Amino acid sequence: MASYTDPPEEGRGRRDLTVALVFLFFAAVALYLPDPLQSQVAEGLRRSVLRPFVATQVALAQARLRAENALTLQAQLDSLASVVAAQASLVEENRRLREHLDLDDRSPGTFIHANLSRPRTTGSESMFLLDVGSNDGIRSGDPVLMRNGGIGLVGVIREVTPDAAIGIDWSHPDFSASAMTADGEVFGFVEPRRGDFRGGDRLLLSAIPYYEPLEAGTLITTTGQGGVFPRGIPIGEVLELHEDFGEYTSEYWLKPVVETGSATHVLVVRADPSVEQLMQLLEGGEEDAPAEGGGGP
Amino acid sequence: MTRKSVLGVFVPLLAILHFLLHVGLEIEGAAPDFLTLAVLLGARVSGMGLAGALGFLFGILEDAFSVLAFGANTLALTVVGILGARTRDLFVGDSLRFFFVYFFGGKLVRDVMYWIVAGETVREPFVAGVLVDGGLGALYVAALGTLMVFLLGGTRPIR
Repeated sequence: MASYTDPPEEGRGRRDLTVALVFLFFAAVALYLPDPLQSQVAEGLRRSVLRPFVATQVALAQARLRAENALTLQAQLDSLASVVAAQASLVEENRRLREHLDLDDRSPGTFIHANLSRPRTTGSESMFLLDVGSNDGIRSGDPVLMRNGGIGLVGVIREVTPDAAIGIDWSHPDFSASAMTADGEVFGFVEPRRGDFRGGDRLLLSAIPYYEPLEAGTLITTTGQGGVFPRGIPIGEVLELHEDFGEYTSEYWLKPVVETGSATHVLVVRADPSVEQLMQLLEGGEEDAPAEGGGGP
Repeated sequence: MTRKSVLGVFVPLLAILHFLLHVGLEIEGAAPDFLTLAVLLGARVSGMGLAGALGFLFGILEDAFSVLAFGANTLALTVVGILGARTRDLFVGDSLRFFFVYFFGGKLVRDVMYWIVAGETVREPFVAGVLVDGGLGALYVAALGTLMVFLLGGTRPIR
């Protein structure tokens, strides 16, 4: 039977081998490029050759948003209106108390709506793309929350371009957050742990004092310490005890509030300027290096 | 099917299809790894140099969406391209059975290479990432690749 491939030409072998080795060398170099250079190369490719595919993804995300059931949205709006109306007196009460105590207004930060999409390519697990960027005021290190259903922590912004941003979700190995029980009584630290299979990733709540046992279903939120995540953002619910370190600390498995694959429309929280100024003062004027979140520039 | 048509039409088409399905339409497991298939197909009709270049190009495009393991896909696909082209000297395969094994093995080598290079923090456990997911992915690529070669008359000689 005739061969599928053409016979190799004489004398071409050495040239081929040389070219192959050159590309192998370049591939190895790409692996060890400094992080900023890797980011520049990746961004350049996303903004040029891969732009049509990213644009398709963004267009589809926007189409999905427009296709949402208007009745459902109206119901959500009505619920929000009733909550806001019910809390109006509390806001006023809070303002008066702060005035009496001589406290400044507490800035809640600014929320920016964004569409979240995932590339679904090898190596892009735990990362997502947002259709907002530095032109919209987004910065590296800003937390990302999910607004569909309840509010929950999705992740943190990692890289920002003028019109897009890349973030890592809670399943990324670099993610971490200072955490507490919703009543503010017990404090700990949340980190992701790989599952046996993709999709089986979980959150581990560590550094919980051994004398403060947590019940299953206890809501765990962010503490606001470190200046990355605002205080009180739900992270997950306690599932079960993972490990008990004798008379020191305990670790618990958490069920995340936000499943990483379900987030499509999110809110990016622009950092509270007062917290930022405080961080700069504490760190001797340095702008970055947050103590949590793993998304620092 | 000519060498020119494979390199000029089918390989770029497969790459476009890969990014359209995975990035544009956000399809994960249901869409096969057309990029590896493109490199393996291209490698079968070209020398090691061109196959390495193809692997490098497609790999770095895939790595544009990789935050922690940038370069891992590039190295994996470059190696697959070079090894794929090397098989031309070792196996004068032209049967569909050969192509099935070739595509299956090529995809598995790509996954093993990626697993090794990506690093401990990024990769999944070996059994889940390579043996289970990788094995199923390799079967998918092999079946589609073989079907494609059959439909394109791959057992006829290249001109």
